[in-house]
Amino acid sequence: MTITRTMRRGMVAAVAFTATALLVTGCSAGGSGAAAGDGAGDIDVWALQGQDSENAALQAAVDGFNGSQSDVTAKLRLIASDTYTTTITSTPKDQLPDVLQIDGPTLASYVYNGKLTPISDHVSQETIDNATAGSIAEGTADGELYALAQFDSAMGLYGNKAMLDAAGVTYPTSIDTAWTAEEFETALSALSGSSPSGKALDLNEAGLAGEWGTYAFAPFVWSAGGNLLEDNTATGALDSAASVDALTQVAGWKPFVDSNADSKVFPDGRVALGIGGHWNYPTYSEALGDDLLVMPLPDFGTGAKAGAGSLTWGIGSGTQDGKAAGAFMDYLLNDESVTAMTQANGAPPATKSAFDADPLYKEGGPLALFGEQLANACASDDITDTCVAVYRPITAGYPTVTSQFSSALSAIWGGADPAKALGDAATSIDQNFADNDGYQQ
Amino acid sequence: MSANNRARRTAAAFQNYAVLIVAALLMFAPIYYLLIGSLKPSSEVLNGFAGFLPTDLSLDNYVAVFRALSSDASGYFWQFMANSLLISIVVVVGGLLVNSLAGYAFSRLEWVGRDKVFILIILLVIVPFESVAIPLMALMQGQRDTLLVQMLPFIANAFSVFLFYTFFLNLPKSVEEAAHLDGLGAWGTFFRIVVPNAKPVFATVAILTFLSSWGQYLWPSLVTSDPAVRPLPLEMGVFSDREPADWGQVFAFGTLLVLPVLVVFLIFQRYFVQSVAGSAVKG
Amino acid sequence: MASPVSTAIPSSQLTVRKPRFRWRDTRDGVLMSAPAIIGLIAFVAVPFITAIVLSLYNVQADMAREPRFWGFTHYIRLFTDPILSGTFLRSLLNNLVFALVVIPVQTGLALVLAVLLNRKLRGMKFFRTFFFMPVVFPMALVAVIWRLILERGDDGLLNASVSVITGGLVPAHDWLGSSATALGSVILLSIWQGVGFQMVILLAALQEIPEERYEAARLDRANGWQQFRHITIPGIRNTLIFVTLLTTILAFRVYDQVYILIRTAGANEEATQTLLYTGTKAIFSENNLGRASAISVVLFVIIVIITLVQRGLLRQRSEG
Repeated sequence: MTITRTMRRGMVAAVAFTATALLVTGCSAGGSGAAAGDGAGDIDVWALQGQDSENAALQAAVDGFNGSQSDVTAKLRLIASDTYTTTITSTPKDQLPDVLQIDGPTLASYVYNGKLTPISDHVSQETIDNATAGSIAEGTADGELYALAQFDSAMGLYGNKAMLDAAGVTYPTSIDTAWTAEEFETALSALSGSSPSGKALDLNEAGLAGEWGTYAFAPFVWSAGGNLLEDNTATGALDSAASVDALTQVAGWKPFVDSNADSKVFPDGRVALGIGGHWNYPTYSEALGDDLLVMPLPDFGTGAKAGAGSLTWGIGSGTQDGKAAGAFMDYLLNDESVTAMTQANGAPPATKSAFDADPLYKEGGPLALFGEQLANACASDDITDTCVAVYRPITAGYPTVTSQFSSALSAIWGGADPAKALGDAATSIDQNFADNDGYQQ
Repeated sequence: MSANNRARRTAAAFQNYAVLIVAALLMFAPIYYLLIGSLKPSSEVLNGFAGFLPTDLSLDNYVAVFRALSSDASGYFWQFMANSLLISIVVVVGGLLVNSLAGYAFSRLEWVGRDKVFILIILLVIVPFESVAIPLMALMQGQRDTLLVQMLPFIANAFSVFLFYTFFLNLPKSVEEAAHLDGLGAWGTFFRIVVPNAKPVFATVAILTFLSSWGQYLWPSLVTSDPAVRPLPLEMGVFSDREPADWGQVFAFGTLLVLPVLVVFLIFQRYFVQSVAGSAVKG
Repeated sequence: MASPVSTAIPSSQLTVRKPRFRWRDTRDGVLMSAPAIIGLIAFVAVPFITAIVLSLYNVQADMAREPRFWGFTHYIRLFTDPILSGTFLRSLLNNLVFALVVIPVQTGLALVLAVLLNRKLRGMKFFRTFFFMPVVFPMALVAVIWRLILERGDDGLLNASVSVITGGLVPAHDWLGSSATALGSVILLSIWQGVGFQMVILLAALQEIPEERYEAARLDRANGWQQFRHITIPGIRNTLIFVTLLTTILAFRVYDQVYILIRTAGANEEATQTLLYTGTKAIFSENNLGRASAISVVLFVIIVIITLVQRGLLRQRSEG
């Protein structure tokens, strides 16, 4: 599954570049060599190799675009997901394609490296207006719009109604009625008592040390009133009492958590609760049918929060034909292309028109709660009590932030002292930012 | 006395076998687990002791692996296998030639600067490849996504040079001296006299090089993203990361990954064991 | 299996022989060694020197900013920064523990197996095949097999076995996740994969010992242990040294299994990280090319020091 895989692999951030050459010449990044061009000719498109159905949908969009007009021919190249970020990072600006897919949280570091060009001049205003707030939030860096997404991601707490009822546990039916941390722990305790395996929860434990850790567990920190960064500084946010408290609570669930090595513990009915994403929905709904519940994550104090963000599309700074690239993006973000893609992967559409028409996420749909979460989205430096879906920090230093957070999380999960683990992570992040002049251009 | 002796010997042999059988069972258990798991439905692989029972056997997992890897987007299983084979063969053959020549030059020829250069080679033996992978990747950016970039860095190998060097040093010199008298130069002596007498070390280096080349993981993950050139072990990593994890299929993939090496090993194990050990003992 | 390395250079071979330089030899020698030397310079020496240079810079992998000369800042931080040094020194410690456990245990096991296989009995080749087989398994595969064996739930093979053996008295244990057993688990699977290799080398050495020595000892009524102590061990002394040195260096290059187990199987990162893991993580996760390079250089220096110390100790003993 594209999203899980990219998140698991993590921001295998960056490597390479022509080290010695750059050391000698002392080249600096920045500046955009993008040219508007005449809107005719060939354009290259790079995308992340996903599931077969996603690849097919993408190819169909490219074919559709090529057939819809005669000026521009788009050529698609799929790149293996585990090396996608490495490939982009290690490709010099002038060899990057005209249009490329980007993992949302890595956007800022590509912008910082001068690999992307602002898209407002190339993409039609109509397309921009139709983008969801989340898509805009994810694609904006330094006040400029650099990318727009076909789809977003959504996550929350799945429940097995039959098992919850059997244990006599009442459950939330809306975001407002989300379990509190205490209620959640009580539920876990009751559920593990009545479960044959003695466990109650799956949280994809094996992925904690990767991007899944940040994506799915930073929401608890936000919900508790903590944060990863505040004013580009981790000290005072990541090591705040609220953040420490949040992860202390999470670590307390361990006795109730099944390690889920066979990936089937929730759909097989061995645990009643599972923290998961929209990509789990097809399997889960097939296995549980009407017993599948979709709930918000527990509320740690300032309202339930959830992770969001996925792959998005931008224009390479070396493009010689921004106009053609923009035309392709317009096509990629039209209802037909977006719907074909989201039908292929079950993700929430990231354009307003497709989102409103989506049978899964619209009001009354089975994933309406996820839809509502995304409708109330915010950036991580602007969190309010009412927003639910929170996008990960947009900073060129994100690779360090996520690496430190997920390492601290998995250490805490393994029994480390939360205050010390998060304190160390915060200090390390701040040191990295200081070494890089705060990632200011 | 002799009957007593024989009884004692039988007892000792029995004891010997008993320990060996227990050890062999323990050593083989993980391999058996892999093989049997590759033939079972995923849900039975990770299921306590039941993972060990030969129940519900079928080739479904293998079929599923081939089916999952049979499109341009995902790459083709046989393509990965062919890439791995081609890379390993080139690295082995090229390595044998290049490193044996160097080993011979260091051990038998007297040339200006030889000893200084040899110290350098010995120092390079202990540079872990992993520690130069990142700068090397940067230096080879232009070769990204080729088979060549996966071969070139591994052909010249300081440890292989060292193995050849020690082996040649221990070869009796008399034959070569006779060859010299017959008017054979260094090259002629090497190819006609030394190589035929050095089969064990060639076999050793071939085997060690093949094993490490076949298992390459870090380097291809840094320099390849095109399925057309990616090797098998890397794809196993990608494959086992699929969601949800299907351990039966992962084990089938793993079996296919190790099977060629295992077969080669079983066929050649006589030479294999003799040579690996022989050249090490003499070295 | 990573390509093994050795520094078991018999000291006699390093003493410079009186050179008798000949012009033809020089021409042939240079030509014959040129391909290997060029390859080693291009693919090992140059990148390694690049790493040394990079370790003196504040430089990110993506080169977003101009590299800044930092002198020894990376090294000073690795050893003194309150947080960084914690991770770094822990990796170093893990490598040391790994080496200190694996060297005696794996070599000892290999020796026991070799001695058992060295009896003149039927079927020894068959057993040898079994013990050697794991050596041909790529580490990526070894890690996947063992993560299922070591799985923390009741469904893990090891937990199920322990439960059966103890009649269910001992509850399931998180072998890879617990800080107490994580490194031990990595050691276990590494020994499983590697022991056959040492065994084969030692077996060949055993077979080189002339049978007459044992016969003579038996005539002197030496018992099995005495024979082992006074004939076997001295007879394979050089090979034991070779195997020990080989294992030491391999112990400092542990990477594949650690990376895979931490990233995909929830292995305890703090307890299992090694120097190479910490180095590659600096580059993969944090873009920190300078620090990653510094860790590589430190690793190199450590291996050189250990090699020199071992050589010194062994030489002393052989002279004493």
